[in-house]
Amino acid sequence: MRKLTLLAAAMLTTSISAPAFADGHLRITDEPVELTVHLHNKRYSYDENWPVEQAARELTGVHLKGATFGTNTPSSQEAHNLMLASGDIPHIVGGDKIKDMVNEYGPQGAFVPLNDLIEEHAPNLKAFFDKYPEKMAAVSSFDGNLYYIPYLPDGKYGRAYWMRQDWLDTLGLEQPQNVDELYDVLTAFRNDDPNGNGVQDEIPFFARQWPEVLRLLTFWDGRSSGSDTYHDFHVVDGQIKHGYAIDSYKTGIENIAKWYAEGLIDPEVFTRGSSAREFLLSENLGGMTHDWFASTSGYNISLKDKVPGFDFAVIAPPASISGKRVAEHRRIPVKPDGWAISHTNPDPVTTIKYFDFYFTEEGRRLANFGIEGEQYEMVDGQPIFTDEFKAKGPINSSLYQVGSQVQRGYFQDFNYEIQWTNPSALRGIELYDAGDYLIDQFLGVAFNEEEQAVYDKKWSSISTYMQEKQQAWILGSADINAEWDDYQATLEKMGYSDVIEAMQSAYDRQYGG
Amino acid sequence: MQTKIDQFIQHLRKEWQLYVLLAPTIIWFVVFLYKPMYGLQIAFKDYSIFRGVAGSPWVGFEHFHTLFGSDQFLRALRNTFMISALSLCFGFPIPIFLAIMFNEITNQVFKRTSQTIVYLPHFISTVIISGIVITAFSPSAGIVNSFLSWIGVDPIYFLIKPEWFRPIYIGSGIWQEAGFSSIVFLAAIAGVSPSLYESAVVDGASRWQMVWKITIPSILPTIIIMLIIRIGNLLEVGFELIILLYQPATFETADVINTFIYRQGLQGAQYDLAAAAGLFNAIVAFILVMTANTISRRFSRTSLW
Repeated sequence: MRKLTLLAAAMLTTSISAPAFADGHLRITDEPVELTVHLHNKRYSYDENWPVEQAARELTGVHLKGATFGTNTPSSQEAHNLMLASGDIPHIVGGDKIKDMVNEYGPQGAFVPLNDLIEEHAPNLKAFFDKYPEKMAAVSSFDGNLYYIPYLPDGKYGRAYWMRQDWLDTLGLEQPQNVDELYDVLTAFRNDDPNGNGVQDEIPFFARQWPEVLRLLTFWDGRSSGSDTYHDFHVVDGQIKHGYAIDSYKTGIENIAKWYAEGLIDPEVFTRGSSAREFLLSENLGGMTHDWFASTSGYNISLKDKVPGFDFAVIAPPASISGKRVAEHRRIPVKPDGWAISHTNPDPVTTIKYFDFYFTEEGRRLANFGIEGEQYEMVDGQPIFTDEFKAKGPINSSLYQVGSQVQRGYFQDFNYEIQWTNPSALRGIELYDAGDYLIDQFLGVAFNEEEQAVYDKKWSSISTYMQEKQQAWILGSADINAEWDDYQATLEKMGYSDVIEAMQSAYDRQYGG
Repeated sequence: MQTKIDQFIQHLRKEWQLYVLLAPTIIWFVVFLYKPMYGLQIAFKDYSIFRGVAGSPWVGFEHFHTLFGSDQFLRALRNTFMISALSLCFGFPIPIFLAIMFNEITNQVFKRTSQTIVYLPHFISTVIISGIVITAFSPSAGIVNSFLSWIGVDPIYFLIKPEWFRPIYIGSGIWQEAGFSSIVFLAAIAGVSPSLYESAVVDGASRWQMVWKITIPSILPTIIIMLIIRIGNLLEVGFELIILLYQPATFETADVINTFIYRQGLQGAQYDLAAAAGLFNAIVAFILVMTANTISRRFSRTSLW
């Protein structure tokens, strides 16, 4: 019965979408072509019954057959490795985090370089990469070739500083505009019992992931990371640096240690874990955090009844000691996810044309919004989700089920997200837009084999050492002022400069110096 | 020659049931332990998943040079021995005490209840154990710190203090496994002939003398065999619990070979280096178990083989 309804739904969708593009200008082949595909994500894997997939098949004549490895493992890395090790690579390989794999094994012959194919057969992809050459550079391999078409998120913002506006109001305080005012506000949160229960149990600053504490480094002109991965490198005027080896780090850690010792930072931040936000907000204990726009704004609705007056608001990043306001975290503009053509593929030309289809207007809409008449209606030339579809639950999960917003190579459309973003998050986004607080991200480098060897051999130990020292300093079991020279000497001994040199040469090659 | 083969076939015909019973074990060993040994060669290769085990180029002992040139590997090695040796010292005798104590309890209801209580933690998954440990030792809400503040001691943030990591890890290991490990000793005690105790009672021996002079000597072979097995597993520290409990701040005492392999090998996808560390681990374990077995055979005539 279930199958029957699915089939009926499928027939319905094709009959609806077909007339819209009846002219067949998107058709790639007259003879139907079948290709196998591995597309893995922890929440879904490729399903040829996705309505979006059926519509694409109808329009292009290319039929992708599911051949995903490791569908029962949540780790995509593991699934990709399983696929490679099997020796039986499907024609198209895609999904979550394929960048390192395709850039390492592509030059060894496992994947087909796409540059010439795009040049000759994919006008839409070509137009896109001509417009955004830096995005192409960011995902190319060390040999200069492009081995995969990335998933390109739209929308800029990731995390923001959130503060309990109702606590500020209770204590008669203004939103902090610089680091000194922030210090005063957090101290007031700790001392003056803003939750009004008569006990000094407030946790002024908390975080779900302890490295978020390091974002505070930016208030002393330091850096915690250059990308949306913690502890990453960053770039200043074309020079690769690491936030834990620059001079401002010393002042920053010194002050963070002071804040920690004074109880302004959650004393249990290292072990509280991912439930910290849920727990501390719903218990009316947490005052400030640095977390995602969309998911954090949801607490304003879910805790409305439980915590009277609850108002968790986005605040502008307080200015640093030198007066700079910086939002260090942002959404990465190009993801390590997407899809690639493997060496087993019998027809790379058709495949690149198929990849190109998702960069046409119709293809992009299909990849972002689903099927017209089912998930969305066109209103004034804009795809707008139907109320019926919105009522089904979180839009992104519902879209995964029809095959939209899945990690094929496509360009996301932020309009999809705006339609279901909470007003308090949208206000925050406006605030961040107006202040222009974002800074450029480090999009990673593609190493050649020598650079890779230097990095692999040295970086893991250096990074471990940095984090060990960092925690010891913050916790006060060691003093950064006393140890700073030793620390730098040890980093040098462990090969810090060699790693920076390898990164720099890869960076210069990739982004043209 | 011909007769020997004939003899063997004769023997097979006669005893085939025994070989059928043996077969699953042999197949298990071949499939899960001997066949994977083929892959050990990647410890000496620059391994690429795409090229495969056979297609990757040899690099000799390079990975071993990398390992022994790394302070962090040496520290992990030292920590592994420390944690293992300490948990052997403190963890090994406790199941024996437990077994003897259970044996001396005469009230059946009390005996069964207490046995069930000490066996139970064995069946809880490691993730939950780590959750219990983190909560119990939390400075704000944990039972341990509540007790400390009740007796007037300031709360301690145990899980980020290097000096507390080993006691917490070993203690929670004992809490989880001591009861279940006592079963094998209880079984050994049950096998001691009652006539020994009867004649001791006739001779006027006390309970304490009977434990000391009859029970312990009788189960000594079991104790020694268990000890040899434990020594063989000395380097197999239960690293899942460590990964769940450790922090960069406690790496100094908590980082063991297996967690080092996990960080370097699996997170960093350096399978060849991880294989080299694993191979080294296995060789050391092999030497340890051989040594323990030889010493035991020489001094007590009890040995695994």
